Amino acid sequence: MAYSIALQKRYRDILNDIQDQGLNKEEVQITGLQGAEIHIKSSDNSGEARKINMCSNNYLGLAAHPDILKAAHEALDRRGYGMASVRFICGTQDTHKELEQRMSTFLGTEDCILFSSCFDANAAVFETLMMEEDIMISDRLVHASIIDGMRLSRASHDTYKHSDMLHLEKKLQMYHDRHGKIIVTDGVFSMDGDIAKLQTIVDLAEKHNAMVFLDDSHATGFLGENGRGSHELCGVFGKIDLITTTFGKALGGASGGCVAGRKDLVELLRQRGRPYLFSNSLAPMMTITTLQALNLIEQDDSLRKKLKQNMQWWRKELVAAGFIVVPGESPIVPIMLYDAVLAQEFAKRLFAEGVHAVAFSFPVVPKNQARIRTQLSAAHNPEHLEIALAKFIKVGKELDILGKSKEELLSMHNK
Amino acid sequence: MEDKLLEFIREEFLEDPDQEIDIDTKLISSGLIDSFSLVSLQSYIEQEFGKRIPAPRITAESFDSIRQMVEIIKQF
Repeated sequence: MAYSIALQKRYRDILNDIQDQGLNKEEVQITGLQGAEIHIKSSDNSGEARKINMCSNNYLGLAAHPDILKAAHEALDRRGYGMASVRFICGTQDTHKELEQRMSTFLGTEDCILFSSCFDANAAVFETLMMEEDIMISDRLVHASIIDGMRLSRASHDTYKHSDMLHLEKKLQMYHDRHGKIIVTDGVFSMDGDIAKLQTIVDLAEKHNAMVFLDDSHATGFLGENGRGSHELCGVFGKIDLITTTFGKALGGASGGCVAGRKDLVELLRQRGRPYLFSNSLAPMMTITTLQALNLIEQDDSLRKKLKQNMQWWRKELVAAGFIVVPGESPIVPIMLYDAVLAQEFAKRLFAEGVHAVAFSFPVVPKNQARIRTQLSAAHNPEHLEIALAKFIKVGKELDILGKSKEELLSMHNK
Repeated sequence: MEDKLLEFIREEFLEDPDQEIDIDTKLISSGLIDSFSLVSLQSYIEQEFGKRIPAPRITAESFDSIRQMVEIIKQF
């Protein structure tokens, strides 16, 4: 035991800084199922309150879907709770292989490998596959897990301005002599909800002899005609070298992720991917239930259609009410307030009104780009959205922000 | 050198065209440049000025303003 005074001070100072900068993250405690309505424990533990949930990644509403819960219960009885092993010792059941095959087909690739999370998948890809003489060129707004994954690689790394295809091409030209080149992008960017220009990215990759890496966590299961993701939506299905995605969002929302891609790349990840080799096998309940989620998605497009209708209605009504909404086609709908204090106040008042939606500000998004990020779900019924909209408008009127421009919103707290 | 770096940084990094910067503007600690994008600066400096700055010398602290960058470049 040697937790010295100096060390105690170090950690306390960091925590105080986080608090002083208003960056402290607090967790609300949900006491029931994940869904369009959630019950949240009050901060003084005196009771709980019902809230409309506008901020989960439960895009298809499968987190508490009866067919999913049934599959999970049956999986527990048939295959037990855990594997207590990594995959290559005694942690692979037939359902792990079955899910890998299904995901590979679903995503339009040659093979697939499961991970404990998509974070782990992203942590494995670059270190294993990109060598010292290679270059990784990433969009500046890719997810934190990709950035951490690239940091583990010995390959060089450069970035291009968000979705700026001219800038990307300039970078591809700049690194034309590198042995291995890979363009790295999210399918749907989680803070803005916009979709990568995958058609152009694939064209540029072909022209400049680069591979394409796509993290499609915010698209798998619902974007595109068959819900296969942003590559299906953009008309480049079957043309992506590496796709990572999660089972923790639309596909049931529990946990787990995968890398789908070219056969030899996947095989090398199986042999050398450290997060794969040295962490526990995905629980049997996760593999079997994710297979059931794929069944639901492939057999029936009603949840996908409902999500799309919800998304279109919500975007249209917010704009009509005078909010500034980042345009797009994804169920991530950010409402721009620009000013961090204003965004925090908006979220706080919404919560008091019975709507749970989170404010994001610097450093999660650039300065003066603070927002309330809302996310739609197929679990939302029209009544949920009508109530939520009424509350957004009520708080918008109270704070006098409806119809205001970016400059006007930014100047409100600087007067 | 300062002017060339200013122009490159405006072109390469700034998302907001109205953003004013000068040689003392804090670039990384203020969030204008992601520290992960420093490799772009390294490549530019090598191409434009013929100086290869070793990666360990290019840190969020040492490259936080153009004035600091110039001081380091001059050492090579």
